Amino acid sequence: MHGATLAFLVSLAAAAAPKKVQFNRDIRPILSENCFFCHGPDKSKRKAGLRLDVREAALEDGAIVPGKPGDSELIARINTKDPDDVMPPPLSHKTLKPQQVAMLTRWIADGAAYQPHWAYVPVRKAKTPATRDQAWGKTPVDAFVQAALDERDVRPSAPADRRTLLRRLSLDLTGLPPTPEELTAFTADTRPDAWEGQVDRLLASPHYGERMAVPWLDVARFADTVGYHGDQNQHVLAYREYVINSFNRNKPFDQFTIEQLAGDLLPKPTTEQLIATGFNRLNMVTREGGAQAKEYLAKYMADRVRAVGTVWMGSTLGCSECHDHKFDPFTARDFYAMGAFFADVKQWGVYSDYKYTPNPDLKGFTNDYPFPPEITVESPYLKARSQRLQAELGTLADQLRARLAASRDETREFRSWQDGTRRFLAQYPDGWRPAPALPEKKQATGMVRIAPGSGWLSAIRIDLATPPDYKGPDAELGRKIGVVSVSVTHNDQAIRFHFADSATKEPHYLGGHEQAGIASGWVVPRAKAGQTRTGVWELAQPVRVGIGDTLTVTLKGEAVGTVKVFTSPFATFGTQAPSRLAAGKRFAAKGRVLDEVYLLSTGWAKDEARRFQDVHRQLAELRGGLTPTLVTQTVTPYTTRLLPRGNWQDDSGPVVDPATPQFLPAPVNPDKRRLTRLDLARWLVSRDNPLTSRTLVNRIWKHLFGAGLSPQLDDLGAQGEPPSHPDLLDWLAADLVESGWDIKRLVRLIVTSSVYRQDSTARPELREVDPANRLLARQSQRRLDAEFVRDNALFAANLLNLEIGGPSAFPYQPAGYLENLEFPKRDWYAEKDERQYRRGLYTHWQRTFVHPMLANFDAPSREECTADRPPSNTPQQALTLLNDPTFVEAARVFAQNLLVLKDLDDATRIGRAFERGLGRPAKPDETASLLKLLGAHREHYGQHIEDARKLVAVGIAPRPELDAAEHASWTSVCRVILNLYDAVTRL
Amino acid sequence: MIQRRTFLRGSGYGVGAIAFKSLLEREAAAAKVERWRGVIDKPHVPVKARRVIHLCMAGGPSQFDCFDWKPKLKELHGKPFPESLTKGQQLAQLQGQTLIARGPFMPFKKWGKSGQEISEAFPHIGSIADRICIIRSMHTEQINHDPAHAFMNAGSIIKGRPSMGSWLLYGLGAETENLPGFVVMVSIGRSSDQPISSRQWSAGFLPSKFQGIQFQSKGDAVHYVGRPDGVTAPLQRQIVEEVQKLDALSFTQRKDPEIQTRISQYEMAFRMQSSVPELTDFAKEPQHVLDMYGIKEPGDGSFASNCLLARRLAERGVRFIQLYHRAWDNHSNLEADFPKAAKQTDQACAALVKDLEQRGMLDDTLVIWGGEFGRTPMGQGTGRDHPIISFSIWLAGAGIKGGLTWGRTDELGYKYITDGQEVSVHDLHATMLHLCGIDHHRLSVRFQGLDQKLTGVEECKVVKGILV
Repeated sequence: MHGATLAFLVSLAAAAAPKKVQFNRDIRPILSENCFFCHGPDKSKRKAGLRLDVREAALEDGAIVPGKPGDSELIARINTKDPDDVMPPPLSHKTLKPQQVAMLTRWIADGAAYQPHWAYVPVRKAKTPATRDQAWGKTPVDAFVQAALDERDVRPSAPADRRTLLRRLSLDLTGLPPTPEELTAFTADTRPDAWEGQVDRLLASPHYGERMAVPWLDVARFADTVGYHGDQNQHVLAYREYVINSFNRNKPFDQFTIEQLAGDLLPKPTTEQLIATGFNRLNMVTREGGAQAKEYLAKYMADRVRAVGTVWMGSTLGCSECHDHKFDPFTARDFYAMGAFFADVKQWGVYSDYKYTPNPDLKGFTNDYPFPPEITVESPYLKARSQRLQAELGTLADQLRARLAASRDETREFRSWQDGTRRFLAQYPDGWRPAPALPEKKQATGMVRIAPGSGWLSAIRIDLATPPDYKGPDAELGRKIGVVSVSVTHNDQAIRFHFADSATKEPHYLGGHEQAGIASGWVVPRAKAGQTRTGVWELAQPVRVGIGDTLTVTLKGEAVGTVKVFTSPFATFGTQAPSRLAAGKRFAAKGRVLDEVYLLSTGWAKDEARRFQDVHRQLAELRGGLTPTLVTQTVTPYTTRLLPRGNWQDDSGPVVDPATPQFLPAPVNPDKRRLTRLDLARWLVSRDNPLTSRTLVNRIWKHLFGAGLSPQLDDLGAQGEPPSHPDLLDWLAADLVESGWDIKRLVRLIVTSSVYRQDSTARPELREVDPANRLLARQSQRRLDAEFVRDNALFAANLLNLEIGGPSAFPYQPAGYLENLEFPKRDWYAEKDERQYRRGLYTHWQRTFVHPMLANFDAPSREECTADRPPSNTPQQALTLLNDPTFVEAARVFAQNLLVLKDLDDATRIGRAFERGLGRPAKPDETASLLKLLGAHREHYGQHIEDARKLVAVGIAPRPELDAAEHASWTSVCRVILNLYDAVTRL
Repeated sequence: MIQRRTFLRGSGYGVGAIAFKSLLEREAAAAKVERWRGVIDKPHVPVKARRVIHLCMAGGPSQFDCFDWKPKLKELHGKPFPESLTKGQQLAQLQGQTLIARGPFMPFKKWGKSGQEISEAFPHIGSIADRICIIRSMHTEQINHDPAHAFMNAGSIIKGRPSMGSWLLYGLGAETENLPGFVVMVSIGRSSDQPISSRQWSAGFLPSKFQGIQFQSKGDAVHYVGRPDGVTAPLQRQIVEEVQKLDALSFTQRKDPEIQTRISQYEMAFRMQSSVPELTDFAKEPQHVLDMYGIKEPGDGSFASNCLLARRLAERGVRFIQLYHRAWDNHSNLEADFPKAAKQTDQACAALVKDLEQRGMLDDTLVIWGGEFGRTPMGQGTGRDHPIISFSIWLAGAGIKGGLTWGRTDELGYKYITDGQEVSVHDLHATMLHLCGIDHHRLSVRFQGLDQKLTGVEECKVVKGILV
């Protein structure tokens, strides 16, 4: 992108009358690009002892003689033809352009004034300049931009039309397009503050937080997996909810910063503040066998320094890991001193315990284990989901109760079951009938044969106890954990269970997630080894046991002990459920529990019973809405040394204490105590820190204009690009800090400006002068970010799930995409319910293999802090929009939504589709063209109804009764619309 | 988006604006595929290799059982490994263990006129000994798989750096308009091996159009290349043309040159929908060719089948082709698993070289065979751990001296010998770029304030001694 700047500078030089040379704008980029590598801040690589980044040094050596370019060695060297003397040397393959030579010459002639680098000087709120056309824009943003345009005699663009404006604003603030109704309302709104009204509405939308979260999740390197090697799952969904909520509640950015870097160090931290500290845990980590903890701890530290540098300081601190920075005043010592702030973060270099690298803290860890430390917190999304599932059970039970009441036969059956049940409970009030073992001639180990008695069999309970005189493997339970698994046969037929659970179990993990129940067996916790351990197994389908039938229960495990088996005719759920039935009297009453039990305990209403079981299992997994989440916990800091050349095996470097970069104003620390992450966080958002506010404003500007005022979002240093409007950047930065870091205010300031509201059409007369649109004489056209490309198609089809927060979702993904992952093997099960249509930002983020739809549209892997997503334009994007089932299904459903509207002609339907899909009416030639396509596809699908049926069968979304050929033909029309530039571009 | 274009074209001062203008002047609706031609207009050095095929033996094959014959190590088998060599050195899974020498278990043989020493596990590679150059003095900086792969592919362990295929594509473009310029395949049929990551073929900070496209072993070879069910090729063609037509209408109003690029990308996408199936259809390959590679079932995703596909890709102008075979992480069971992996790959590797030669393509195709590292001369149970400072690879084709063994390791093979023939990963990168006509110093892109290169910031060298 450097080319863009140079083109910009050159073209400005050509377009405008020569102005006074400014070091920061005109000279530093040339020196940095061509000279600093050998004559800059890094003393280790400095040639001939000359440095040009400091005026005194450059003068001392005679490289620069102010006012006398002819006497300046610098000018002589860049002009000479002698290959031995010429600068930059031929080997560097760098050459100065004549304009650059002229610029340097003029600068020296003018006195060679240096300026401190713009990003490191205090933020200054300049007076808003006067402009020629006061009526055009009234905000300070307008004044600064217009003043720069005035200087070059360029007129700003006219405002975009209202539809374009509302779509732009909706996409920028919520990532969602406006509905046709919202568009109509706004275009008809004649109030003078109609625009401000829309701005406030959208800033208040709960989807604002989702849109703002996406770039933050990129810099926070938020992902669902750990990244290195086996790339196992980690738990961090609560952090994403935290980010979304923080933006929605307009949490001041200083607080947002402090909570993430040091929430755990605040006095009496709230749960929310602890969740926020997940930020420090989002670096990639490893569980690779053979990895050395020390090496990886060095990697983790370096990652955190780079992240803090990019997120808050807009600086490339990473360059200083091996040597002093070549272009900016960061030293290697600064790098490690910044790293030392994180030396107290509780972590492990390798998250496992191997015999060759023992890690007693994580004994017994497998590749399925989570990555501690975690805390368990409530997720509002999960809680709501849990409540919704509960309600579904209620509805289902109500329907069944009605059905029961309506059918005489079924009622009779039910009555007779009730009678039997009462009798059973009179005898076995807790609902469990002991089933003594049958005498056996030959008793195999762990095998028990029982006669359960006739009637329904719905659940089996097994009590394991260790008799005092028992000398078998059980006796070792004190130090060995027993693993027990159970299988049951009924008359030699294997019985399938849908759920099993025990109150005495160690957590069991699969793919990082704790599993509900003990279906495949359970591990007895050490602490409970001596107690009776009870497990309850629920049959997937109740079995009618005849007189004389037998059950064989086989237990495998190291710690079986003595076994007692109980059976029950009542299917309940989990270990808690039998006790719900304990009171026989209560059971006789009519009620939900009763119906549920009948439903699950007999062969009645099989489909509904399956749904019950399915929902129950989901409820068990939801744990009432609780979820683990990565957090930062503080421990005694390890010693941090400066690693010579970044070599983690070299312990010869000096020990460094936490400190902020030496050349910036230091945190106040009168008693010289060891600084903490909290000090770092407070320093980042202190008034003295010139970098944080500039960095943030610059990123938000990019969000709203497609490019930062300084286009290198991650480098405000010498090698970045000076801002196009330095006074504007500073004004906004100063205002942000003054306002108490109010981000909504900042966004509002920008989007209510006339600059923001300009038309985005490229202006032919500005192509040469300002190809990168840095003068902002128009808005820019931006391809939507990956997540919103997806959201938009689903929104057009009215399929998009607008729930907020919660765990990551698994939309359709090509089969086998994860087949090259190991430890453990991975598979991808596409969601089968409304979660299929969750917004793109909730897609499961597998760092090593990001979902191909997202990756094709330039979503970063988030292995590393990423401040920018340069949009590309590739055939893979075309293939995705054309053929990814998500988009084909969206077109199919989009089409059926058009077709269920009655009595519309084709042209009107196309018009509706444009309104919904593109937020604008169709132009006559567009309609005409699509009508032709529609005709051609009608002809094909009319004759090939099988093709039509195949096309409309895509996806899991329900399909109304429609003529397949018609539906398929309209699906083609909708596919075209969803593939258009206008569909994936914010204009 | 405009910055993007100027960035790409902007290898020099002000070039952006010029290229930009000429683009704007193009006819908007022309459904032409505009092929990326690379930022390097004129080669820096004479071009020897027009394409590169990297046979990545993921996991790290044991050099002691393939290309680095160590009789002394065999003598020491089962005895303590001299501490003098290993003291203070980094180890992986052998940390804190008593180090015992493990001798080579495969017999070695001298092959061809050159008499290169290659183990009998690789008779087919032995048969092309005079065409390949074996480098025994490779060394890397990373001892674990994940970062070692990153280093081998991108020259850096920091994530978000472009892989070597992306660099080549960025620098030179591809010679095909119908296929991606950088293709990756992973053989199937192996399990429980080391994982790999798509970052190994990532474009990093380069635009994503330069990323490697992984051809899948199951389903569509390229993600989303298959038309939806019920959509015939003519119908799909109509849809693509309609998108192009309506986008061209938009261009007249919006004037964003990205629209024109987009129209051209839809064309390329459509072509891929026929060129990819054509590419992967082996029906026209004669039986004797299938036999030469040892292909049992064409298109079965085996390494052999992928090697033939690699030749077909090379014929069609793909710039960089990378084949992964994840079978070499022999921490245990070396004596059973190593020959198995050798058998899965040996014949096809040799067949690829011969096939290219028969078609006159070996002269301008560089073939690289090797892992992200090798294995230790010390045993680890029934296998070997991974080392960092010695492993073997071989190169063949464009500009490479055949029949040459380059570089040495100490008599137990623990470390390369510093005799001017030692080869670092960056040296390998520099040499590969050199063969492709690129001075590695001069293929750079500004990112985070630095002119980033595949070969990093430290000095490295082109290994001239292995070049013709």
